[in-house]
Amino acid sequence: MTSSKTIVLRSSDGATFEVDEAVALHSLMIKHRIETGGADSTTIDVPEVTGNTLSKVIEYCKKHVEAPNSDDLKSFDTDFVKVDQAVLCHLAKASYYMNIKGLLDLSSKTIADMFKGKTVEQIRETFHIKNDFTPEEEEELRKENSWNLFV
Amino acid sequence: MTSSFPEEVLEHVLSFLTSQTDRNAVSLVCKTWYETDRWCRNRIFVGNCYAVNPRILIRRFPDVKSIELKGKPHFADFNLVPEGWGGYVYPWVVELARAYPSLEEIRLKRMVVTDESLEMVAKSFNNFKVLVLSSCEGFSTDGLAAIAANCRNLRVLDLRECEVEDLSGHWLSHFPDSFTSLESLNMACLVSEVSFSALERLVARSPNLKTLKLNRTVPLEKLSTLLKRAPQLVDFGTGAYSAEFRPDVYSSLAGVFSACKNLKSLSGFWDVTPAYLPVINNVCSQLTSLNLSYATTQSPDLTKIVSQCCNLQRLVVLDYIEDTGLNTVSLSCKDLRELVVFPSDPFIGDVDVQLTEHGLVAVSEGCSKLHSILYFCRQMSNSALIQISKNCPNLTCFRLCIIEPRAPDYQTLEPLDTGFGSIVQNCQHLTRLSMSGLLTDRVFEYIGTYAKNLDMLSIAFAGDSDLGLHYVLSGCDRLRKLEIRDCPFGDKALLANASKLERMRSLWMSSCLVSFGACKLLGRKMPGLNVEVIDERENVNSIPEYAPVEKVYIYRTVSGQRFDAPDFVRIMGKDKDAVYNLS
Repeated sequence: MTSSKTIVLRSSDGATFEVDEAVALHSLMIKHRIETGGADSTTIDVPEVTGNTLSKVIEYCKKHVEAPNSDDLKSFDTDFVKVDQAVLCHLAKASYYMNIKGLLDLSSKTIADMFKGKTVEQIRETFHIKNDFTPEEEEELRKENSWNLFV
Repeated sequence: MTSSFPEEVLEHVLSFLTSQTDRNAVSLVCKTWYETDRWCRNRIFVGNCYAVNPRILIRRFPDVKSIELKGKPHFADFNLVPEGWGGYVYPWVVELARAYPSLEEIRLKRMVVTDESLEMVAKSFNNFKVLVLSSCEGFSTDGLAAIAANCRNLRVLDLRECEVEDLSGHWLSHFPDSFTSLESLNMACLVSEVSFSALERLVARSPNLKTLKLNRTVPLEKLSTLLKRAPQLVDFGTGAYSAEFRPDVYSSLAGVFSACKNLKSLSGFWDVTPAYLPVINNVCSQLTSLNLSYATTQSPDLTKIVSQCCNLQRLVVLDYIEDTGLNTVSLSCKDLRELVVFPSDPFIGDVDVQLTEHGLVAVSEGCSKLHSILYFCRQMSNSALIQISKNCPNLTCFRLCIIEPRAPDYQTLEPLDTGFGSIVQNCQHLTRLSMSGLLTDRVFEYIGTYAKNLDMLSIAFAGDSDLGLHYVLSGCDRLRKLEIRDCPFGDKALLANASKLERMRSLWMSSCLVSFGACKLLGRKMPGLNVEVIDERENVNSIPEYAPVEKVYIYRTVSGQRFDAPDFVRIMGKDKDAVYNLS
């Protein structure tokens, strides 16, 4: 039984998106907010997510709620994560905060695939992570790791 | 540029990253990643049980659910590692029991496992699910009884080629009637007869049973009874497959096999009565794996079977299949990925079995997906090897065992250098290579130059000088395991490539020309290595420093020298009291 009720989602940068309630409920965080919310539960703030990312998240939820059994769901998902790593990271973070398991799994697995076969330096570079080990600490760790580095 | 990496999801991301190599890379990225990885890494693989100790492992990884340990070096399979060398699992089990009460899986290879260890496993881990013992020894069926009696949630009990003191088959009856979680049981290496009714009841109350490998004592006539209880089986190993031919037994067996719609893998077939082989005709096209290495029957019988296995990916068979049988394989088994041909009589010089290099060449020609070969034969030629290398550029594993040591190309009487050279040149994905036949230093030059992805190399009765060893150690960037026997390799190459040894898991050299002095020097120079001289000669203390040792086993370790070594093992160049600990 789908209601024609709509919900407004507001991103961290003030962008608003009107979505069907059924679509919004795909996020368990939003579902919880609605169920425990008071009188004004038609506008929900999502401060952890920017407008750009929220728009994409909604696109994901729409597809999965409106056509969950469609044959092209798999290819939709595959294409959905063909984005640059920054967008991918934002999607992962958003799906975590908004508690959308399918999207969390999809984006996490995609990130994991990006790690495969890479060296430490390559991973740091791809995701712009700062190395906060001192050279001595790093050398010590590599030595300690050696029993399972070249397993 | 600052990172936008969502730290909150790192743990979830890591749950999709299972390769230990990848997890190791991730753990070195930065401090928070190191911490996240160590708290959620719950599958551990230790390729050499002496490379690390339980204390170091437990300190780093607080929550382990699955552990795999390997003990003796591979050449132990050829009886080159003396009894009592080491590889004891007990000290590990004691620490694991204390640190990881929710441990679920233990996999051990070439380790000494005692009944005491098995009893401790049985009593210490409430949710224990998987026990896999490959090529292990030191335990009896009493230990198995303890596992059966206590591990309420056991799913897998897999004994692969273990040496078990088989006191009786009674251990199987220790599985309680309430025990229903069994998914995989492999008892093929046991010799005692188990109670058939206990076995039948166990199978009947195990709805998730997918793998069942019987031992030789389960007779052919009883197979129908068992299979009727488990039509869902995916992997089945028969017991002794011989009986007087009876049409009723035959049709009953054929019927139950046909009902096994999920059956993909077959093995067993000891002492096979050929008349009973066709019962599996109806399942042949389902099979992806077939192990006929105990089926001592002639080529026509074997050929008839394999000709129907159009989806076969893995075939293990005796040389009785002969070239004609392998030709049929090449025409019928187009999906073949792995071929293993064992010798029926390895200790006899000349046999009346027509298995030559032609069989292997035929399979390499017909089976484009072939990537792994283990082949025992009595003759080989460079031209055959070159052909194979051209037919199978995607080979990952090539192990050729020409039975006679130093056998040359039987057509030209030349060494097989160019043949193996062609293999390493054309097969760029080769990770494992085992060579035989007449080989000079030349082949090692090829290997050092071309085999850049080689991970494991086995050499016997080959080479002319130290140069051979030097080529390999200096050229094979990814080499982790090197095992050598009866080659004229000595001190010079070893010492010149000492630092390479720290980037490998291990090096084994027996009946070579490495001296006591060099071993001592290496042990002193390289604190990160254990240099074990294994020498059983009585007068070993009076042998001069320049004389060669019987065997030396060198491996990387963060655990320092070990204190469980027997008299005939000396850890060279280390202060007896020094322990190379990392704080």
